[in-house]
Amino acid sequence: MDKKLDASFERVEKALAVLIDSMTKFTPSEKAANDVVKAERELFLGLEELEVHQRNVARIKQLKQETEALDAQTKQTISALWEMRKELVAVAPTKFSPAKEEKYPFTTQQLLDYARRISRNTLPPPGVTNGVDLSTAVPTTPDDQAATGPNASFATSIGGGGGGGGSGQGTAASTPAPGVQDSFVSQVPSQSQTGATELPVHLKPAVNPLENAPFFTFPTIDRIRSGALAQYQDLINRGIDPKNYDPEEEERRIKQEEQDRKDAEERARQEREEQDRRMREERERMARERELARQQQQQQEGGMDRRGSVLAPGQAGGQPARAAPKQFTFLDEDDDEDED
Amino acid sequence: MASEPMSIGSSAQDPPPVPEATSQEPKYGGHTRFELELEFVQALGNPEYVNYLASRKFLQNPAFVAYLDYLQYWTRPPYLQYITYPTSCLKMLELLQVERFRKDILSPNLTHALVTEGMKAAVEWHRESLS
Repeated sequence: MDKKLDASFERVEKALAVLIDSMTKFTPSEKAANDVVKAERELFLGLEELEVHQRNVARIKQLKQETEALDAQTKQTISALWEMRKELVAVAPTKFSPAKEEKYPFTTQQLLDYARRISRNTLPPPGVTNGVDLSTAVPTTPDDQAATGPNASFATSIGGGGGGGGSGQGTAASTPAPGVQDSFVSQVPSQSQTGATELPVHLKPAVNPLENAPFFTFPTIDRIRSGALAQYQDLINRGIDPKNYDPEEEERRIKQEEQDRKDAEERARQEREEQDRRMREERERMARERELARQQQQQQEGGMDRRGSVLAPGQAGGQPARAAPKQFTFLDEDDDEDED
Repeated sequence: MASEPMSIGSSAQDPPPVPEATSQEPKYGGHTRFELELEFVQALGNPEYVNYLASRKFLQNPAFVAYLDYLQYWTRPPYLQYITYPTSCLKMLELLQVERFRKDILSPNLTHALVTEGMKAAVEWHRESLS
C-alpha cells in the first residue's frame, strides 16, 4: 500500500517539477499541467484506498481485541470448571462414606455378642492389676476399694505405698533388660513388705489365684508360636508346600492307607488260612482215603485170612456162605425172644 | 515368620471372603487365607512380635509394607467383627502405616514402653469406667 502511494506521490512530484520547470522557463506546457492533474487524481484514489485500508486495519484490531477478551473469558471459565471439579473430587469420599457404612447394619444382639467375645481380651479379670497401683492415682473411696478388689487394699494400708511402688520400679529398671512380666511381678511383692494386716506372701495365691497374673490386650508370644502361622512355617521348614495341604486331610489319608494296608493284610491272612485249611482238608481227605484204602486192604487181607482160618479147620468149600446167614438166624432168634 | 524374600505380586489384592459353612476355600496348611490373615493381624497387636518383625527387616520390605496396607480391610465391616483383640491390634495396624513408627519399633525401649503402657491402660481404662 505504502509503495503504491509512494509511487503516486513521486509521479505527482515529478509532474509538478516538470510543470514548474516549464513555467520557470516561461514555456508552460499544457501536457505537463494535464500530467499533474492526472497524477493528483491517482493520488486521491490511492488515498481513498488507504482510508479504506486503515479502516479495515482498525476493524481488525478491534476484532483481535474482542477475540482476546473472549479467549480470556474461555480460559477463566475452564479454570473455574477445573477448580470446581477438583472441589467435587475432594468432597466425594466424605459424601459417600456414610452411605457405605449403612451397608452393614447390625443388631443389638450382634453387638452384645461381639462385646462378650472381646471382653476376655479387653477387660482384666477381677484382681488382676498388671502391677498398677490402683490406690494412688484416684482418691480412695470405700466404693473404689470394694470395686478394685483385695489387691488395692494392701497398698492403702501402707504409709509409703508410693515409695514401695517406686522401689519396685527401681529394681525393675536396674535389672538389665528384664522381661515385661518379670518387671511387673517384681513390683507387687515389694509393696507388700511392710503391711501389718497383710497376708504373708506365700498365702496370697490361695486367696487370689490370679495374684500377680499379667493381663495382655494382645495375643502372647506363646499363643502366636502355637498358632496356625507357626504350623504354616513348620510345614515350610519341613519342605512341604502348604498350599492345598491339609494336615487333617493328610492324617485321614494316612489312617486310610494304614487301614487299607491292614485290610489287605487281613485279607491275605484269611486267604492264607483258607488255603492252609484247604490243604489241611486235602491232606486229611487223602489221609482218610489212604486209611480207608488201608482198611479195605486190611479187610480184604483179613477176610482172606479168616477164610483161610475158617477153611483150615472145616476143610469144606461152602462153609462161609452158610456161616453169614447163621448170624441173621441168630438175630431172628433174638427178636423172637423179645417178642416173647 | 517366613524369612524368604517376598514379591509385591505375591499378596492378593482382594480380601478373602467371609467364611461360610458351604465355602470351598483353598487351604494353606489346613487353614484358609481368612484364618491366617486374621491370626496375623491380631498377632500384630503384640509389640514384641512387631519388634521381632522389625529386627528381621520385614518392615523395610516394600512388599511387606504393601501387605500391611492391604491388611487394613480388617478395620472395616464385615471383617471388623471377627477381631477379638481389637484395642491393640487395630491401633498397631494404624501405627504400622507410618514409616517413622516402622523404624522406631526396632528399639527395645519403645517395645517395652508399648507393652507396659498397654497393660496399664487395660487396667486404668476399666477403673475410669467404674469411678
